[in-house]
Amino acid sequence: MPMRVAFLLVVLFASGFYTYVAFADLAFLSVSGRLGPGFFPRLIGILLMAFCLWGLWSEFKRGRSEVERASSHWRTSGLVVVLTGGLVLSLNLLGGVLAMAAFLLVSLSLLNRGHHLQNLAVAVVFPGSIYLLFDRLLNAAMPDGVMALPF
Amino acid sequence: MEIFSDLWMGLSVAISPINLLYLLIGAMVGMVVGVIPGFGPSAGLAILLPVTFGMDPIGAVMMLAAIYYGAMYGGTITSILLNTPGESATVASTFDGFPLAQQGRAGPALVMQAAASFVGGTVGVILITLLAPLFSQVARNFGPPEYFLLAMMGMLTLVVMIGSNWRYGVISALIGFALGTVGVDLETGQSRYTFGSAELIGGIHFIPIAIGLFGLGELYFAFYQGLHARGSGTIVQYTKDQRFWPEARDWIETRMTMVRGSLLGFVVGVIPGAGATIASLMAYSVERSVSKTPEKFGKGAMAGLVAPETANNAASSGAMIPLLTLGIPGSASTAVLLAAFLLWGLRPGPLLMAQNPEFAWGLIASMYLGNMALLAINIFAIPVFVWLIRIPYRILAPGVIVICTLGTFSVSGSIIEVWLMFFAGIAGFFMRLFGFSPAALVLALVLGPLAEEALRQTLTISRGSFMIFIERPGSLSIIAITLAILILIPLIQRLGRRAADKREAG
Repeated sequence: MPMRVAFLLVVLFASGFYTYVAFADLAFLSVSGRLGPGFFPRLIGILLMAFCLWGLWSEFKRGRSEVERASSHWRTSGLVVVLTGGLVLSLNLLGGVLAMAAFLLVSLSLLNRGHHLQNLAVAVVFPGSIYLLFDRLLNAAMPDGVMALPF
Repeated sequence: MEIFSDLWMGLSVAISPINLLYLLIGAMVGMVVGVIPGFGPSAGLAILLPVTFGMDPIGAVMMLAAIYYGAMYGGTITSILLNTPGESATVASTFDGFPLAQQGRAGPALVMQAAASFVGGTVGVILITLLAPLFSQVARNFGPPEYFLLAMMGMLTLVVMIGSNWRYGVISALIGFALGTVGVDLETGQSRYTFGSAELIGGIHFIPIAIGLFGLGELYFAFYQGLHARGSGTIVQYTKDQRFWPEARDWIETRMTMVRGSLLGFVVGVIPGAGATIASLMAYSVERSVSKTPEKFGKGAMAGLVAPETANNAASSGAMIPLLTLGIPGSASTAVLLAAFLLWGLRPGPLLMAQNPEFAWGLIASMYLGNMALLAINIFAIPVFVWLIRIPYRILAPGVIVICTLGTFSVSGSIIEVWLMFFAGIAGFFMRLFGFSPAALVLALVLGPLAEEALRQTLTISRGSFMIFIERPGSLSIIAITLAILILIPLIQRLGRRAADKREAG
């Protein structure tokens, strides 16, 4: 099954659920007789399902003549997605600065192989600069984590 | 004369040392954002928006606006030296910019693009100065039907621009509208799609979605395209000797190109949903069709570089008109700017210029100064940006991911929003991969609540009759303009394709 069809099916499934909630839980008219909270979601839901079905029909009509060719860099994109997930996961555990440093060190070791000194320098200098900019200069929120920094 | 006194007042606001510093920082950051491939002004604005939270509102908005129009300047440097547009609005600049660089004229091309950007941007700001008060006055007569139709006009124009994949553009916009309905319904107080979660009562926040779709999604897509594997060896070298500066004939040949590009770009920019990309492509086509030497286009014609450059900068200025006077963003970038205005408690619309003149005129005045600063930065700081281009994407990208993550967290200190950004990034990647439109989604997410409120008010006023849309002169005019755009854009696209086919066949 082509990937685009799978993506459209996911959107169709989600829009079906959205439309179901719009009809089941949200009233079309309010108590005062005006248009209620369900009016717009019902409209959007129906249109969304209709366009998804239209899209699917067009994809099936276009048929098997067009074979999707995946890029040879699929794995790298997937790796970067996993690494980003790891960064988000580690924010609450390690705190902002340590999570950033760990993420940069791991991701650069995998993406920029062989340049150990350069990778280490970036993994130390960059989080340090971000910490100074966000925490000290702009007073913006940074995740503390379980293992917070002593300063 | 009132315009000049207002502008003078705006200048006095904008010209304070701290605001000038913010403006310069914004201009520099905008250029950096423009230079990094796959990282447009929308992503740059969304990521840097939280950074402005500790700042004075006028300075913050001046800085964000400078990032927005500065990206147009920066995007061309890579178009000329690398044959890779920094962002979609500078695609047309590669057609003649790169051949010029290959012919040993990289220096003149870089200077001419800076000058063209300056002319386009400045003409755009002059036209904003003259037309914004006029638009504000007209918009004061607008009611809910007109606002609903304006929102629809922006969405439909954006969707039609997508071309053959327009159905996926509609689906993207509808997803944005659907996400916009999450949270408490302001009219009845009933929760919608919150499923008992306290985090969702306030609705799905726009910033994590925008950062995810434009920041992470674009970055994952750049990896998918193999940008990380490319080296920097293809950058065209240039020297800063006497051959760096353009010759007199470059200026003479392109003087009318600048006028045409600026005016066309501004008009296209004012139309909600049209934007800088279509403006630059249209300007290029127009310039080739009026040129006495159309055969030189695509082979290093200076006019072929100057036309899209003036147009995309004038269009980015033009897009400020519907934003400032109607409160309707016409593009994803201006949608992020609108979010910034709202965060600062400023409500763009017909009353902005009357109720917050210091802000509105301060912003307009800052755009004059910003364009001057960008001209200087563009010419004298090119080596800095060339150095930036040389940083391999595989080193740059992890840094961008870190900034996206920390930027999202700093908005409200919520890890849930960071997860939201992460999943929006994955969705953004698949949307780009399968021809959907993240820009339409983001624009619909911002316009959705406004459109819903306007539609419900309209139907309450008309007691459920849709005839109200054609009974009011204002809404009827908007319908007529929308129809004209919907007919004209596919026609222009078809003509452009036919011309491209002819060129290839010839």
